[in-house]
Amino acid sequence: MPQIFVDGREIQAHAGQSVLAAALANGCDLPYFCYHPALSVAGSCRVCVVQVEGRSWVDIACNMPATEGLRVLTDSDLVREHRKSMLELTLLNHPVDCGICDKAGECTLQDYHYKYNGQPSVSLDAKVRLTKYHPLSERIVLDNERCILCSRCVRFTREISKSNALGIQERGDHSLVRAAEDGAFEKDAYSDNVVDLCPVGALLSRSFLHRARVWYLEPTPSVCPGCSRGCTVNLWHRKGEWKVHALDPARNTCIERVTPLENPQVNGPWICNKGRDLAQIFERPRATQAMIKGTPVELVVAVEAARELVRAAKRPAAVVSSWGSNEELAAFDAAFGARFASFVKDDWLPQPGEVVEDDLLIRADKNPNGTAARARFPSWRERDGGFAAGTDLVLVWGEGFDLAQIPPTAKTIRLDGYASADHVRADVFIPVSIQTERRGHYTNFEGVVSAFSPCVAAAPSVADAEALFAALVPVAQAVA
Amino acid sequence: MTADRDLPLAEFDALRARYPQGFESSLVLPCLRRIQELRGFVPDSDIDALAGYLSVPRVQIEEVLSFYTQFKREGVGRWHLMVCRNVSCSMRGAERVLDQLSQRLGIAEGETTPDGRFTLSTVECLGSCGTAPVVMVNDAYHENVSVEALDAFLARFS
Amino acid sequence: MPGRKLLMTFDVTGTSHTLADYRARGGYATLEKVLREMTPGDVTKEVTASGIQGRGGAAFPAGRKWQVVQLRDGQPHYLCANADEGEPGTFKDRWILENAPHLLLESMLIAAYALEVRHAFVYIRGEFDLPYRRLAGAIEEARAAGILDAPLFGTEFSCDIIAHRGAGSYVCGEASGLLTSLEGKRGYPRNRPPRLTVRGLYQRPTVVNNVETLSNIVGILANGAAAFKAVGTAKNPGTRLISISGHVEKPGVYEIEIGYPWRKFIDEDCGGVQNGAALKCVIPGGISTKVLTAEDIASLTLDTESVEGAGSSLGSGGMIVIAEGTCMVRLLQVMLRFYHHESCGQCTPCREGMGWMHRIIDRIVAGEGRPEDLDQMLRISRMNDGTTICGMGDAAGYATVGILAKYRDEFDYWIEHKRSRHDGNLECRRSS
Repeated sequence: MPQIFVDGREIQAHAGQSVLAAALANGCDLPYFCYHPALSVAGSCRVCVVQVEGRSWVDIACNMPATEGLRVLTDSDLVREHRKSMLELTLLNHPVDCGICDKAGECTLQDYHYKYNGQPSVSLDAKVRLTKYHPLSERIVLDNERCILCSRCVRFTREISKSNALGIQERGDHSLVRAAEDGAFEKDAYSDNVVDLCPVGALLSRSFLHRARVWYLEPTPSVCPGCSRGCTVNLWHRKGEWKVHALDPARNTCIERVTPLENPQVNGPWICNKGRDLAQIFERPRATQAMIKGTPVELVVAVEAARELVRAAKRPAAVVSSWGSNEELAAFDAAFGARFASFVKDDWLPQPGEVVEDDLLIRADKNPNGTAARARFPSWRERDGGFAAGTDLVLVWGEGFDLAQIPPTAKTIRLDGYASADHVRADVFIPVSIQTERRGHYTNFEGVVSAFSPCVAAAPSVADAEALFAALVPVAQAVA
Repeated sequence: MTADRDLPLAEFDALRARYPQGFESSLVLPCLRRIQELRGFVPDSDIDALAGYLSVPRVQIEEVLSFYTQFKREGVGRWHLMVCRNVSCSMRGAERVLDQLSQRLGIAEGETTPDGRFTLSTVECLGSCGTAPVVMVNDAYHENVSVEALDAFLARFS
Repeated sequence: MPGRKLLMTFDVTGTSHTLADYRARGGYATLEKVLREMTPGDVTKEVTASGIQGRGGAAFPAGRKWQVVQLRDGQPHYLCANADEGEPGTFKDRWILENAPHLLLESMLIAAYALEVRHAFVYIRGEFDLPYRRLAGAIEEARAAGILDAPLFGTEFSCDIIAHRGAGSYVCGEASGLLTSLEGKRGYPRNRPPRLTVRGLYQRPTVVNNVETLSNIVGILANGAAAFKAVGTAKNPGTRLISISGHVEKPGVYEIEIGYPWRKFIDEDCGGVQNGAALKCVIPGGISTKVLTAEDIASLTLDTESVEGAGSSLGSGGMIVIAEGTCMVRLLQVMLRFYHHESCGQCTPCREGMGWMHRIIDRIVAGEGRPEDLDQMLRISRMNDGTTICGMGDAAGYATVGILAKYRDEFDYWIEHKRSRHDGNLECRRSS
């Protein structure tokens, strides 16, 4: 465990660690573009320069092994001068079109410029013109003028997603990041991570392009429900004080983008593209109206009717949602665990064209909480023979269950967050809240528990399943 | 140009056998050079085939093709005149040679004559400064090319 | 005759490059002596004792490079001869490839023995067609004769040599860029650490040496380090192949004994300045070395201390003679265009700096220069000094700083008068 000194401060490094990694891990503020803890060292941006005490030159810190007793300076005059020069050169041909660039406000180049340089360009010559709005794929747009050729995106496709889908064409100041011509980048299920990796506004998400300034948005920590990996994510939507008044009010509550919430235990700094598209899952048409045999009723009326069905049932069964949170599952178990024959379903199955499973993040179980649910109840897909004879009430919670499997004589209580044509056939239908409207936890396939928080309010006509389960227990039984 | 559209795999196998085990990636440049010798340029259709044969990512071959000046993805004229315009050649009249060639052939740098006979390019130092000016024509160095003897020079190329 | 010769010791004929002729000159006898009488460690000691410096441009002592390679470490080692010869003004390795390919092969086999190498490569720039064919021919002769890829002289040592062609890129002459290119990729140079002698080709210990450096190995082992040191100067032993070009009557490749007087070489051995013109200045060793004026070199000798004492370097041995009346602004413009074209684009200072300097000098030549442009170029050169992954950024800086230091007045003139003081001329005018 080598000990090094950064600006005179003693720091404990690990064997094989670079000075940059050791310094960052100990709270030192060193700028860098091409370095990334999850990628190989490129050492090409030349911004992370430090000065070894006693030397009259600077070296990059990302490729400097931390050796016992090494003493470096990160803020000497020499380092400042060099750092300023490197930033000046990085900006030399940069279009500085922050006014129309989505990265503004979260751009490393902006931040470093103001902190370490702050001077306007002294060049009298025109900037190099390159491609703008180059469609790298259906999902990602590339601006080569903004690109600082840090090669993070290229290294990502070589080392992490292993699609080898990106490369650099030409050379010198006409180098261009480009996608392989066989369309491998379109098929890379992790392609959008390069948008996060890109330190500038060169790689941008096309679905987010020009939607909102990032400082109008706030992130809500959540868990991706796309599979049992349970990557933690940030769901971004408009801050209250930046409401749009003249546009569709849905713009104020919709998810504008999804980014990874770094999680060393689960997904590291990445998520797959399905996680980026969570708005497509969460913002499907909702079920908002309680019904009795298809007739709209007040929520309390539906709850009352459902409670009566529960009381009267002699052989009740339940099909439990693998999207239920740990809290909802606990409440369900407390309310019905003893009386109901309960089975866990796979609300979602792999869709055509979707990656089923891989070596990186994606799991075949396309549900966020099957693990926790199956810890309590048996799995429906492993059950032979369907419902037991004599089942007279089936409570179906969540999506993805073929109602034809229910004995025709049994009563049905349906709970669902999303609109569906078959809700009208249930004896009682109660709309419930979805993940983005409440807090809770999921347990991933390895047993890691992650939390999600609400980012929108549920409609008043929509029930909270956790509270609902307790409410569905008949009073007499509750007392007993 | 060969009518055979497949890669010359027998040749490539022999080449592969010369290199140590695990050096397949090293064969990218020699194989591309050979393909270009046979076809005049490297066609897109050969990129996939070569990537498969060498088990290298396709993108590596695309990158290599654009990085090195000698590789071409499109055909050029029958005679590719590459005039060196670096220091020693410029000091011995290369700029006048280039100028005269351009006028004589009626094409600008980077262009091909309408009859497909000549393409005119400029290149950097060819490592033949002692016999400047030097023009590389296809594979061969033509040394001591002078404006005065330009007719004789061009007459070498049918 | 510029001193004693070690390499150009035979007459070049139509067959002097063949195996038969080489053997007749005593070829491969040293290899046999080395394999029969010396250990690999002995060989490296001898090369180190000879004090031979690299002749590719960096002048790093070859023996010191070889010493880093750990013998018997259980992994493959590689040797690579750098025949990329891209430094403008340089064409002397080509002489060896075309005329003495077996000298290179025998030298490489001795080096391979010292370094425990089983596969060696000669990386030849793609444009060198005849040199490649000569070398490939020599390799085939050697294989057929059981010299390559076969156990030698009753030992277990065997080594194959492969001629591997580049495809047009100056940075592939930089040792680490060369290896990356040899791995089949874009020729991007690498950061150090690790040194290539620790992790080089495919991350294995690799020695990259210039062709001329290697070609001296046979002589050093045949006659001993002491004999080698007796030639040249104490700090810079041996000879150098100088490729001389530009405004000189007899351009070509000459072998000089290191320490030979500079003006004597140009005026007597090379026929003097073209057309009897006056000498203006000389680029000593490739355009990446700083230019020296006629007065600067008046009493200098061709050795490291003398040239470095004057603030320049023998570099790659690519000497360019420049006559009075040559426009130094246009000359620098040609150089900066070259560096801009050749920048691989990996690191920020070179990628952006080369283009910037090129655009500035183009603007000056177009008559739109500003007084601050010259200091700007000096500043850009400083920003590339020691900050880049490889030496190319520094090289462009040396060229620029060198020319501006001696001929700033020509630049000031062009900026002020919007034209060249010498009509933009690069050729040597006939003296009337």
